[in-house]
Amino acid sequence: MIREALVWLEADLGKGAGDTAQSWSQALEGSLNFWNLLEGTHVLTLMLFAGTIFVVDLRLLGVTFRRTPVSVVSDRVLPLTVAGFILMFATGLALFLAKPVVYYHSIWFRAKLVFLAIAMLNIVIFHTRVQRNQAAWDTLAKPPSAARISAALSLISWIAVITMGRFIPYNWFDCGKPIPHVMNVLENCAASEHGAVDKESMAKIAGGRAQ
Amino acid sequence: MKLTFEVFFPALRPWVQNLVNVWPAPFVKPQFASFEVLHILSLILLGGTAILMNLRLVGAGMTDETPSEIYRNLRRWQDLGVIGIVVTGVLIGMANAERLYDSTAFIVKMIALVAGIVLTYGASRPVARADGAVSNGARFWLLVGGALFLLGLGVFVTGTLINVGLFHLLTATALIVLIALTGRLRWIYLAGLIVLIAVQQYLTHVTIGTDDIAKLDPVNKTFFVLYSLWIFGAAAVQLFTKGRGREAGALAKLIAYATILVWVVGAAAGRWIAFA
Repeated sequence: MIREALVWLEADLGKGAGDTAQSWSQALEGSLNFWNLLEGTHVLTLMLFAGTIFVVDLRLLGVTFRRTPVSVVSDRVLPLTVAGFILMFATGLALFLAKPVVYYHSIWFRAKLVFLAIAMLNIVIFHTRVQRNQAAWDTLAKPPSAARISAALSLISWIAVITMGRFIPYNWFDCGKPIPHVMNVLENCAASEHGAVDKESMAKIAGGRAQ
Repeated sequence: MKLTFEVFFPALRPWVQNLVNVWPAPFVKPQFASFEVLHILSLILLGGTAILMNLRLVGAGMTDETPSEIYRNLRRWQDLGVIGIVVTGVLIGMANAERLYDSTAFIVKMIALVAGIVLTYGASRPVARADGAVSNGARFWLLVGGALFLLGLGVFVTGTLINVGLFHLLTATALIVLIALTGRLRWIYLAGLIVLIAVQQYLTHVTIGTDDIAKLDPVNKTFFVLYSLWIFGAAAVQLFTKGRGREAGALAKLIAYATILVWVVGAAAGRWIAFA
C-alpha cells in the first residue's frame, strides 16, 4: 500500500493534461538546477545542524566547554541546531519527493530512517528522563553517565544517519541486481519494477550449469 | 573557455591519469563512499566550530561566553576538522583525479580551501583569542584571505553550469544575517526577503511559464542580484549596528562573516563538482 501511494506520488501528483505533462515529482527530478540546489543545501546544512549538535554532545560527554554549564551550551546552541534541522528536513522531504519509489526500495534510505528514529527517540528520552535532574549536574565538568550515554548515542546515531544518507546514491544493492536474499527481502524488491534476483539462487544455477 | 587545472598545467594529464594507480588510491577507490563519509564528517566538525566561533564575534550564538573561551574550547576540534578534510580530500582526490583535473568547481574548492585556512588561522582565531581585538597581523591575513576568497568567487560566478551553486552562499549569508540581526531590523530584513521570494515565485511560475528558460534566465539572474543587494546590504548594516551589546567591532565581524562563508563556498563548490 505504501508503495502504491509512492508510485502515485511519483507519477501522478500534480500531473496536468497532455502526453508530455509531468508530475511534480518528475518535474523536480528533471529540473535543470533545482534538484542540485536542494541536494547541495541538504548536505551543506549538515554543517549547521550536525556541527552544532556535535558540540552539545561533546559538552555532555565532558570533553569540551567543561567550565560552561550544560544549560548555557544547550540554550544557546540548540536554537541553531533546530534551524539547521528544519532546513535539512524540508530539503530532505523535497529530495524524497523527486524519487520516492527509488528511495522506498533503497536499503540505505530505510536504514537512514531507522537511525533517524533512534536519534529522535534518544532526544525524547533525554528531555523526559535524563534532563529531569539537570539542575544537580548542570555545572559539573563531567555529567552523569546517563547524560553521557545519551550524548554518545546521539553522536553515533547522527553519524549513522549521515553515513546511510551518503550511501544512498550507490547501487551496490539495487533491486534487479543479483544481491543476497536478505537484501531482497529488506528492500521489498519483489514488489519493485526490477524484481528480486537472489545472488544465492544465481550461484546455484551457475554451479549446476558448470556440473 | 572552461577554467580547469588543465589550463594552468596542461602537461600534467598523464601524471593525473596515473594517480589512481599510486598507493593509497588503489586501496581508497573500492572504499570511496566510506572516505566520502569521513570527508563530510570532517567538514561538519570544521563547519560547526567555525559557525559557533565566528557567530560569537558577530554577536550571536554562545553570547554568555567570551570569544576567547569559545576559541579555547573549540580550537582542537576545529584543527581535527581541517586535518580531516585535507587528508580525506587528498585520498578521495587521488582516486578521482582526472575528473577533478577537468572541473572548474574543483578550482573554486581549492582556492576556498586556501582562503579558508588563511582566514581561520590568520584572522578569525587570533581575533577570537583576543576577544575581538583585531591586530595588524589579523588585518594582513584578512586582506590575503579576502583577496583569495574574492578570486574564488570570481571563478565561481564565471563558471558555466556551476555558478548556480552561489545560491548556497546567498542562503548561508541570509541565515547568518537573520541570526545576527536583532529587534525591528530583523523583522524588516525578514519581510524584505519574503517579499523578494514571493515576487520571484510569482514572476517565474505565473507570469512566465516554468519551461520558458529563455525568459526565466534573465529574471532569475536579476533576482540573484536583488537578493545579494538585500542580504549583503543587511549584513553591512549589522556590521555597524550595536545588537545584543556583546559583539566585537565592525572589522572583527567582517572577519567572522568571511570565515564562515569561505567554508560554505568551499563546501558548495565541492558539491557542484558532482553536478557539472
